[in-house]
Amino acid sequence: MMYFMFLFGFCFVFWMVGVSCNPSPYYGILSLVLGAASGCGVLVGMGGSFMSLVLFLIYLGGMLVVFAYSSALVVDPYPAGWGGLGGLVYVVGFVLLVLGLVVMGSFLCGVEGFGEVTADGVGLCVVRLDFGGVSWFYYYGSVMFLISGWGLLLTLFVVLEMVRGLSCGTLHSI
Amino acid sequence: MTTMHFSYYSAFIISITGLSLHQTHLISTLLCLESMMLSLYIALSMWPIQLQTSSFMLTPMLMLSFSACEAGMGLSLLVASSRTHGSDHLQNLNLLQC
Repeated sequence: MMYFMFLFGFCFVFWMVGVSCNPSPYYGILSLVLGAASGCGVLVGMGGSFMSLVLFLIYLGGMLVVFAYSSALVVDPYPAGWGGLGGLVYVVGFVLLVLGLVVMGSFLCGVEGFGEVTADGVGLCVVRLDFGGVSWFYYYGSVMFLISGWGLLLTLFVVLEMVRGLSCGTLHSI
Repeated sequence: MTTMHFSYYSAFIISITGLSLHQTHLISTLLCLESMMLSLYIALSMWPIQLQTSSFMLTPMLMLSFSACEAGMGLSLLVASSRTHGSDHLQNLNLLQC
């Protein structure tokens, strides 16, 4: 399992480099989706399978919308990939940054142990840690639950006001 | 600091570097913000697993919902800027100041 965890963690960092190195939005969103899938693998390996499920369904479902949006927005017939000198400079810079962080972390803190403590690391439990934890939303976290729902509703109206039109909406005042 | 901690620390630092460096499209910066959010989500859901405290599992869900608000606002700003400025290049926002 250690090797799987290392593989998923490495893929996560690798695809984040792919997002950040200024590619075309096609490849950027592809890297983000694959990085999120690797992050799901990390969470499953740690034992948080419900958190991984939420990440996979909700986050990647939202990412699908963003993906369709960005592919509709960018109409280049030949999108610029990671190739070229500029992208190569970014990739080499980020790889050097990660290597520097590895060296610094191993000197300062000591990097060892892939996912030693998992969700059922202390023994068998009746309710899994993440299942039981999220269900606190309906008891102690009910106020924050309502606040976040109100925030999502507010965001809906703000977005509707932003994109309403040039004649009468927010854009009219610019 | 285990290696899993190191992976999301470095993913966060890489994403924030890519956000602050020169990006061509506005949607690329939004993708960098999303990847920062992704590494924060993994960090926040990994800490309660390691500390065996189930009540802290609320924080990644709350952060996911608020980041959905952020992503929606970012996309609507993208729509607005591409309607007023013609394209979503970040260079245009500097050139065509109004």
